Amino acid sequence: MAKHGGWAGKVLRVDLSTGKISTENTIEKYKDFIGGTGIGYKVIWDEVPSATKPFSPENKIIFGTGPLAGTGAPCNGKTAITTLWPTCWPKPLVASGHMGGHFAAELKYAGYDAIIIEGKSEHPVWLSIEDARVELNDARRLWGLGIRRTTYEINLQMGHEASVAAIGQAGENLVPMSVIINSVSHSAGGGAVMGSKNLKAIGVRGTGSVYISGKKEEWEKAIKFHLSLLGANNQHVVPSSPQPWAEYYSPGSRWISSKGRNWEASRPPIETGSCDPHNLNRIAYRSNNAVFFLGNDAWKYTVRGNGCTGCPIRCHTILRVPSVYSKYAIPEIGQNTCGGLNFGRAFFKTFPDGPKSQTSIEACMVGMHFADDLGIWNNYGLLQRDFQKLYYDGILKTKIDEKEYKSYSWDKFEKGDPGFLFELLPRIARKDGELATALGMGTGYMLERWGISEEDWKKDPALQYWKMGHPRHHSNEDSGQIGVIINTQYNRDAQCHSHTNFIRNGLPIEVQKRLASELWGSPDAVDATLAYTPMNIYKAKMAKWSLLRKELHDALALCNWMGPISASPLKERGYRGDDSIESLLYTLATGDKKSCQELDHVAERILLLHRAITIRDMGTKEMRTMHDTIPDWVFEDIKDKSPFSKGTNRMDKEDMRIAMDMYYEEMGWDKKTGAPTLETYRKFDLGDVAEKLKQKGLLP
Amino acid sequence: MIMNLNFSRRQFLKVSGLAIAGISALSSLGVTYGMAEVIIITEQAEGLVIGDPTKCVGCRRCELACTEFNDGKASSTISRIKINRNLQLGYLGLYTGKCDEGKWGIGLIIQDICKQCPHPVPCADACPNDAIVIKPPINARVVDSDKCTGCKMCQRSCPWDMISFDSDTNKATKCFLCDGKPKCVEACPAEALKYVRWRDLSRSVPTRISPTSVISQEKIQACMGCHK
Ligand code: SF4
Ligand code: SF4
Ligand code: SF4
Repeated sequence: MAKHGGWAGKVLRVDLSTGKISTENTIEKYKDFIGGTGIGYKVIWDEVPSATKPFSPENKIIFGTGPLAGTGAPCNGKTAITTLWPTCWPKPLVASGHMGGHFAAELKYAGYDAIIIEGKSEHPVWLSIEDARVELNDARRLWGLGIRRTTYEINLQMGHEASVAAIGQAGENLVPMSVIINSVSHSAGGGAVMGSKNLKAIGVRGTGSVYISGKKEEWEKAIKFHLSLLGANNQHVVPSSPQPWAEYYSPGSRWISSKGRNWEASRPPIETGSCDPHNLNRIAYRSNNAVFFLGNDAWKYTVRGNGCTGCPIRCHTILRVPSVYSKYAIPEIGQNTCGGLNFGRAFFKTFPDGPKSQTSIEACMVGMHFADDLGIWNNYGLLQRDFQKLYYDGILKTKIDEKEYKSYSWDKFEKGDPGFLFELLPRIARKDGELATALGMGTGYMLERWGISEEDWKKDPALQYWKMGHPRHHSNEDSGQIGVIINTQYNRDAQCHSHTNFIRNGLPIEVQKRLASELWGSPDAVDATLAYTPMNIYKAKMAKWSLLRKELHDALALCNWMGPISASPLKERGYRGDDSIESLLYTLATGDKKSCQELDHVAERILLLHRAITIRDMGTKEMRTMHDTIPDWVFEDIKDKSPFSKGTNRMDKEDMRIAMDMYYEEMGWDKKTGAPTLETYRKFDLGDVAEKLKQKGLLP
Repeated sequence: MIMNLNFSRRQFLKVSGLAIAGISALSSLGVTYGMAEVIIITEQAEGLVIGDPTKCVGCRRCELACTEFNDGKASSTISRIKINRNLQLGYLGLYTGKCDEGKWGIGLIIQDICKQCPHPVPCADACPNDAIVIKPPINARVVDSDKCTGCKMCQRSCPWDMISFDSDTNKATKCFLCDGKPKCVEACPAEALKYVRWRDLSRSVPTRISPTSVISQEKIQACMGCHK
């Protein structure tokens, strides 16, 4: 077999029950699925029978990188973690999390494209991977430690260069709302699945290389071209304020660098400056997600940006907030992005000094300190929204006994005192008490435990609850029907950013429409935000494209938070991005020539397999009614504005029915059931998958 | 200024502005030296890459540019600029109990870069095969891979641990300043690297290791020639 670049070439398989460690040939076994979620879904389909429970030894957890991980392709730090998702309600189904950081690159340099973990160890172990030397080590002395201490201990043994992905106490205690974290702040769900296998951590150190098949000069050219098209975080391509070089600006953009805006906590401070897009040596200054989410005060505390291997964007921000050391005796340094930054703050309704205040930033610091050490997941913010609703609607008081109720300082909570988090978060990780246990189960199981109807949650727009225990993730608020379609497709919150990265890129709607017609065949594929028009076929095409590119990125190990490159900040290109950048990089890195259509074909195979596993494990083909559901609040408006009127995200039920029809049609799925047809499976070489489904009566 | 000094009387070759090719050219011109002819670098480099740790965002794009664009493969181990080893736990790190830098510390990431040492050049002097030579016009200290036998003596000699070893080629590799157009500097998205006129950093930067290489008798003799 011809040697490919890009891939490391081997997949590592570790059976914790027997201690057997073996390898498989990536190309022979998984090339048709590229990597990442592709390998993950393939293993779950082939090897994990339906009705398997997430915490049973028969469940597997797959750490998948892809051919671009560890290379210089911009934004390639992701490891897709695929397993049966323990917070998926009422029945755990397959899902993936996306862990950034430095784990993926190190795994590739060690010679592996993925790790399949199976079985269950008798006692706590941790896995060390040093190139070809792979060992299971006793972790009894690490059990009970937080992620930070665990990482230190493993680095002591493996050296400074090792990347360590570990679980904290939450994962150990089988709290479904738990994560795996590497490099301080890069997390993905599945912590409790690792915990259930008695696997505390994976340390990886690789001294090898990822080979580039193409000529190095061509690779260099391709990389520079890709870099030239990058915007700020989420591929926002215009600045948030007027800049000398910029034709447009948009206050909602994450491109927030400017003259006079400094990383103040750096010694000496560093000005972010105007950041002309042609200056590729200033890409790292464009974004500051701490400021974007926490407000301008965060400049004061910004040390610098941080993030994954090979990514110039730096969506994580390192903050130094000295007051938290004196007030709470926690480290004054913290770092994360988006949900992680907001973890602590989002529990509180108010703060004594206002919503984007000093206290709110302190709450963020306390939240990060606990969440990223105990390893707690926030379910894209639903944990915090649930908590507020339970408290302020008086539900909570009726569900826990008085003694437990009194053990929490509710006055602190109401006042917005970050000290409250010291009471709550460690208890979630320990399953200490009814409240903490219920919160740690995830929304669906918590509601079930407390006898609350899911419908109540679906009705409340403030919760943004979507279905199956998870919230919306860039739904109607981000591109009308397209976002809604995308949010119906997964078994957790949809992790798709292809559509929002385009819609929120900051370009005026006329320019977006021009680009949309080039990408999806008509300007009508996109609407201005809060001014939606009825469904049309081009929106269905864009929805499909968005999902395929998400799966493609997850398989290649590109970051879907930064792609696809559907627009660029370059005026001279008419703000065009490049839809074929994935194919350019994939072809040069691997030597396997594939056009963007061919790669989309693979992505569709991966998405289809996800669908097949979901159908198999739900035991029904009635996906349209039982899986692809839309919560009521999508069809409502607080001010009762009618659908398609200006200023509302409200969708129309009949129009969404048409939208789903069009989407199924685009996908080659049966409109009535929403299940893929035999022909469609065959078209993507999944005939054997279809056969198995057919035997169970799960084909339309 | 380029000085060509013939120290053959002292069984000593002082390589000044000579190119690697130049050395063999000289030999082919029939210039002969004694058995113990050795290369001692006395010329200074023209340029140097320096890093500003306050600006480094730890993206490792420099490591990737160094290896992909020069070697056609991505690897932090053979990268001639070193980020990964200081990235998580800092320069002094765990073993000293001082992991207060890096991602897990205050966030400061120190870029380790070859200092293009002035004479005496530790890595070059330690090489038993005279495989570390200067390459004009920049005079970077470079590994002549034809001569390198992969003995790793240079790795043990650099006080800053800046010699990389490529296990694919079984050769040492070190920063050659990309012949005056450093790829790492060009790749840095945070302007945290600069290519500057050479100055001596070898006395201002704390060392990482205590060199344990042995310098050959011939080279010691050659040193004695000047430093009587
Ligand atoms: S490798 Fe080390 S000894 Fe050699 S020139 Fe560079 S810093 Fe000096
Ligand atoms: S100057 Fe060139 S060889 Fe030296 S570290 Fe930078 S990229 Fe590598
Ligand atoms: S490219 Fe620049 S910012 Fe990135 S690791 Fe290297 S020196 Fe640091």
